[in-house]
Amino acid sequence: MKKNALTFRNVSAGYKHRKVLDNVSFTIMEGEFVSLIGPNGCGKSTLLKTAAALLKPLSGVVELFAQDVHRIKPALRASLLGVVPQKIESPMAFTVNQIVMNGRISSLGRWGIVSTHDHDLVERSMIYTDVLELRERYYTELSGGEQQRVALAMVLAQDPEIIMLDESISHLDINHRQEVLQILMKLNREKQMTILLVSHDLTLSASISDRFLLMDSGRLVKAGTPAEVLEPELLSTVYNCDLRVQQDPYTGYLQVLEAIDGLNRRKKLNRNVHVIAGGGSGIELYRRLLIEGYEVTTGVLNRLDSDAEAARALNIQVVLEQPFSPVSAGAIAEALQMIDSADTVILSHVPIGSGNLVNLQIASEALKRGKTVLLATGMVDRDYTEGKAALHLVTGLLMNGAFGWQSIQELMLHLQRHHQN
Amino acid sequence: MGMKDSQVCADNSFTGKTIRKAGFRIVMFIFAVLFLLALSMLLGPSGIGIPDPDSFSGSAIISLRFSRLLMGMMTGAALSASGVVFQALLRNPLAEPYVLGVSGGAGLGATLSILAGSGLFVSLGLPVVAFIAAVLTLMVVYGIASQGSSGHPSVYSLILSGVIVSSICSSVIMFLVSTASVEGMHNVIWWMLGSLQPVSSGQQLLSAVLILGGLGGIWLLSPRLNALALGREMAHFQGLHADFVLVIGLLFATLLAATAVSLSGMIGFVGLIVPHVMRAFFGPDNRKLVPLAALGGGTFLVVCDALARTILAPIEIPVGVVTALAGGPFFLIILQRRMKQAWIA
Repeated sequence: MKKNALTFRNVSAGYKHRKVLDNVSFTIMEGEFVSLIGPNGCGKSTLLKTAAALLKPLSGVVELFAQDVHRIKPALRASLLGVVPQKIESPMAFTVNQIVMNGRISSLGRWGIVSTHDHDLVERSMIYTDVLELRERYYTELSGGEQQRVALAMVLAQDPEIIMLDESISHLDINHRQEVLQILMKLNREKQMTILLVSHDLTLSASISDRFLLMDSGRLVKAGTPAEVLEPELLSTVYNCDLRVQQDPYTGYLQVLEAIDGLNRRKKLNRNVHVIAGGGSGIELYRRLLIEGYEVTTGVLNRLDSDAEAARALNIQVVLEQPFSPVSAGAIAEALQMIDSADTVILSHVPIGSGNLVNLQIASEALKRGKTVLLATGMVDRDYTEGKAALHLVTGLLMNGAFGWQSIQELMLHLQRHHQN
Repeated sequence: MGMKDSQVCADNSFTGKTIRKAGFRIVMFIFAVLFLLALSMLLGPSGIGIPDPDSFSGSAIISLRFSRLLMGMMTGAALSASGVVFQALLRNPLAEPYVLGVSGGAGLGATLSILAGSGLFVSLGLPVVAFIAAVLTLMVVYGIASQGSSGHPSVYSLILSGVIVSSICSSVIMFLVSTASVEGMHNVIWWMLGSLQPVSSGQQLLSAVLILGGLGGIWLLSPRLNALALGREMAHFQGLHADFVLVIGLLFATLLAATAVSLSGMIGFVGLIVPHVMRAFFGPDNRKLVPLAALGGGTFLVVCDALARTILAPIEIPVGVVTALAGGPFFLIILQRRMKQAWIA
């Protein structure tokens, strides 16, 4: 049966004049991977310090494997609980080896003799965190990611049951963060190590954690699975900003997004632009157009097209057609309606085949109705229609006053120029 | 479950080239120490060379040189080891007995005891009074630095209040000296200048016991000093009674510094620079650093003393002058080339 690894019972804690933790209660089971989240200053670090007996609770009890953490001897506590701080500052030129050896410090005994067992644990920790080759290097000369792996190795050398990490990975580059996280996941899966990770990256944490603890101004607001805790309304209240939560369409992982995606940011230009896209060729266009402040409509797109997904996520008005079906007259009419209220029609670098050739015909109708039409060049390479119908259409359009564009920068310049006129 | 369950592998990679290289360096260092100590036995105001041990004057010179060598070894080792501990515990390259007011306090205690007492009481009481005064000073410094923080003074407030208390101590010493009798003034100033003139054998013995005890205590503490060098919180996380180690370490370092001051007066420089130079050569691992710095500090002071009594013979230069004048440039060159190994921050 799984044991309770770490339990807070009605714990209030803090400093002389300032109570930071307010009646916090939770239990972390052995083998769990838990992320502790919450805005800066909400008490996450204080919670870790209280759990590690660095701070004595003002009231309540902290239990480590069912023992009051303040009654456990320091050496035993270190064999149960390891803490990786945000950053280890080594003022002197310790080698990696010497740093990691500190993990064995409380087990050395009075005479400070290092046993074979100690050496083995140190070496194994270094192998596990992949820092063995670095062992004669100076700790301070290592990259941030390497330093964090060394810190992890040092804590692993304590041979603890629980590892707590205090925002130890937030400041790392993406690749280094992944390295450290992979080690943590390996420890959790292979050695059933219990992990409590203080994290700022909600999306990343959601993909690896069993459970979330959400804190806000010293209180534990919610504990539960990522799906239970990552509720947009709850998060937006706690973090005091607009956040969106969505499922990754491919992996099903939850993603927390800051809602600063043009919808709230842009100053409106009151210019409507209709985009003809497909197959993912529209995503970057949509984003840029929204940022620049245009009203964007798009279509006709297939319902399963990635551009359709993007348009939906970005709240762009879109004309949809069932997948694998010819574009219906209704959809064409709807698209033409959108074009009527637009100033400009843009064709993306979408490949044209018999299925979406009708979109090009819509574009030439737009030109006839007096709209500015901007066509992505290079149709030669993406014309899959019989008899090069698309190429003929595009050539005709260009001769009748449509403009060609290659890069998005070029397109944006075009748009600006047209709107100034 | 952690890694306890898994098998212990018979072999691990903690042997090999680097350890052999470090070992070679240490052996070379010990040879250098023996050579320098032997050399300093050959130097003195009576001339360079081995005096005839059979003649009365010759054997007297040899025994005099030897007892100065012992004085130098004790004082230098104590100051240097105490500097190692202060620097590791406070994680600051400037930390040393003088900066924290420990030497100043010990000096004030010693001054009081020289002015007040006489004879055997002075010579035996000196180290004890100096130690008590130094501990009291450290407590005052620690107390002042702790004000406003939640019981844990920052390194900066410690050093700041140390410097302040230290200068108060030296002002009080100046005041005491200026109002003392001529004889008392002479004694205090002679002692303050710092010299390795042998003190009474009783005081030498007592000092030797205190210093050996202090060095042994620090050496036992040295693995924990490594952990504390990464900060008090980290040491706590790793299962140390961090505050206990800190206090014990400071007490041992204070004992060493106070004994050195009571033995040989105010000799600066050794406690600050020798630890850095030793760290530059042998790395910051305190298990090695404590004994090596003690050896290095002692030898350095012995050599400086040999120079001090030889260069302008028969006039003897205060050894504190030589430590800074001769040692300064020498150590500066070493540190310039190996600064990275000596201290990072």
